[in-house]
Amino acid sequence: MDPLLLARLQFATTTSIHFLFVVVTLGLVTLLVALQTAGFITGKPVYERLTRFWGQLYVINYVLGIATGIVMEFQFGLNWSGLSRYVGNVFGAPLAIETLVAFFLESTFLGMWIFGWHRLRRGVHLALLWGVALTAYASAFWIMVANAWLQHPVGYEVRDGVAHLTDFGALLTNPTLTFAFGHVVSASLVTGGMLMAAVSAWHLIRRTPDFALFRKSLRLGLLTFAVAVVFLIGFGFAQFGPVGELQPTKFGGGADRDALIAEWTAKFGPGDYTPPTLSNVGLGFMILIGMALFFGILVVPLLWRDWIIRLKFPLWLILLAVPLPFVAVILGWIAREVGRQPWVAYGLLPTGQAVSPVSPGLMLTSLIGFTLLLGTLAVTNWVLLARHAARGAHDPALGRPPAPDTDTHPHPVFA
Amino acid sequence: MELAWYALLGLFFATYLVLGGYDYGVGLLLARGATPEARRAALNAVGPFFLGNEVWLVAAVGILFGAFPTLEGELLSGLYPAVLGALAGVVLVTAGVQLRSRPRAGSARAGWDRVIVSGSVLAALGWGAVLGGLLQGVPPTADGHVAGAGHLFTPFVAAVALATLALIAVQGATFLTLRLPATHAPAVARLARGLVPAALIALAAATVLGLLSDRVRAAVARPTVAVLLLSALVAALLVARAALGRGRAGVAFAATSAALALPVALIGAALWPRILVSTVDPAASLTVADAAASGPTLSLLGWLALPLLPALLGFQAMCWWVFRGRTDGRAPVYW
Repeated sequence: MDPLLLARLQFATTTSIHFLFVVVTLGLVTLLVALQTAGFITGKPVYERLTRFWGQLYVINYVLGIATGIVMEFQFGLNWSGLSRYVGNVFGAPLAIETLVAFFLESTFLGMWIFGWHRLRRGVHLALLWGVALTAYASAFWIMVANAWLQHPVGYEVRDGVAHLTDFGALLTNPTLTFAFGHVVSASLVTGGMLMAAVSAWHLIRRTPDFALFRKSLRLGLLTFAVAVVFLIGFGFAQFGPVGELQPTKFGGGADRDALIAEWTAKFGPGDYTPPTLSNVGLGFMILIGMALFFGILVVPLLWRDWIIRLKFPLWLILLAVPLPFVAVILGWIAREVGRQPWVAYGLLPTGQAVSPVSPGLMLTSLIGFTLLLGTLAVTNWVLLARHAARGAHDPALGRPPAPDTDTHPHPVFA
Repeated sequence: MELAWYALLGLFFATYLVLGGYDYGVGLLLARGATPEARRAALNAVGPFFLGNEVWLVAAVGILFGAFPTLEGELLSGLYPAVLGALAGVVLVTAGVQLRSRPRAGSARAGWDRVIVSGSVLAALGWGAVLGGLLQGVPPTADGHVAGAGHLFTPFVAAVALATLALIAVQGATFLTLRLPATHAPAVARLARGLVPAALIALAAATVLGLLSDRVRAAVARPTVAVLLLSALVAALLVARAALGRGRAGVAFAATSAALALPVALIGAALWPRILVSTVDPAASLTVADAAASGPTLSLLGWLALPLLPALLGFQAMCWWVFRGRTDGRAPVYW
């Protein structure tokens, strides 16, 4: 088997799983900050309960974000040693900054936040969550800086076949960065808001206890969703301008594309320089889902006098629509990344040159092993999330006052 | 400039081995068949530090990618099977520790504990194999890439992997001696003391196999430094054993931590100025200077790291300070 194909498959699998969890992380942490801050200011116990319940789901979801993120970080070196060899001087910098500025602190803060309930002063505890949220956004930003550079390499010069950094500022003002970052952040808020609204809807449909609590989180989730979806679509369409100009082969044809392909053929030799059609398919379906989500705004007026809960069917709509944002983020990333092919760094480094000289057998072992491992963990994680979401907010383990261990049941229970 | 970054890379990776070492060490000790309560108490002794320990690995690889891109590609792909094993272990422990207490059923928790044990074994052996692989060099082909993975499978690498496993087990037991309630401490202290001779034997085996291996002898450019640091490692283990016997858990933990950090210093110093030593052609070895990113990248990262490092260390220190001391009935339990 072709090591290039195996390496690409592995990266696609790991990144897709990673993406499904980090959009939820980024979306939920924003809502958690709102909830805990509201609790800090008003002192109402309902906000602390909401923070514990949603915090528990956030923390469970976070696990797979780290696990897949670590595998991705190592994959650059394991499977794509050509990437570090030829463009590592430039591409490596934003990734190094991400680990040091963002992820290092994010996880340190989160560890203290989880174990800091009832131990730290409330202000310090709240500040830690703010730290987690801000570093999570910083993390997304630096990853997008690195990704935007692969879409449109800037601020470098090639000497002896290796790219060297000349202008770091150019990486930060990359035209393929700004709108894409806004798009990803909006997508996270749409997903997080939708998830919060849907879990609340389930409890309201089932008429579980805690009506007031889930009514509150339904409203917060739905309003966040409604505002974010407008930005999501705005940032999405805004990208067609820069992408059409800088990556004419990505989504279509025209004279620009033919000129660029002629230029590449002259420079790199003849070859197929058009991306697989998969990217356009991804784009099309993503836009369809985006439009469908946009009509979700129509539900918002029903928040007036709780018509949304009284009519009940809008709750079902929200519940059934939960998979949509997840499918859309995968399609979106397929459109962006598959549309970049056959380049790992657009117009600079062909994907085939970046793959490590590792034997196909070893690469296949790694692909199968990690796909099974991460796939199993992802499914397990979702099952745990669903169970904890269904269990309700009466006593989440997160933030439980310290006491002798009452959490274990001597016999297996299927709750 | 390269030296400063090389030292920083070493510092981050060594700190990861020290802190991640007790994560995995505690994970290994879950296999002792203790009661569910004891297993949970052990994991919650690591509790607040767990997430902050692993980030040292992520940051070390970030530094590796940013400051030593060529080394990143060649090292990880050159030692592919070892890195794969370590990575699988890290993932299993990460998921296992954080998810094991989410199901309420005792049987599910016991299952997750087995995941943690196997992950800890894999991570310890994997990182040990990476260290051993660095010390015995790699066979690069004409284009400078390391091809194949068979070069990794030698008795020396196996011995280093086992020695690392033993050191990590000692570290885990010593950490628990320091952190569990005072009533539980003597039992784990006895365990830690008992594990020290095992670590010494594994270390001796690795040393003998290293001396017998042509590849290791050729790769080590500074034998005196290597012998000195190895003696320091042995001394640290002996100090740990003595301190455990006298109930000085803090001293013992400092000593076992030194024992886990020293191998990184040993490799860096013994191979200097090279890092990936070619077993085929000494001239084809990758030196630290060759592996480093070019000047503008290093100075950019340098200006960034200068103000940042105190903040990173400060927040880690805050975590250690806030949750210092032994766990007790009033300590938060979450894992």
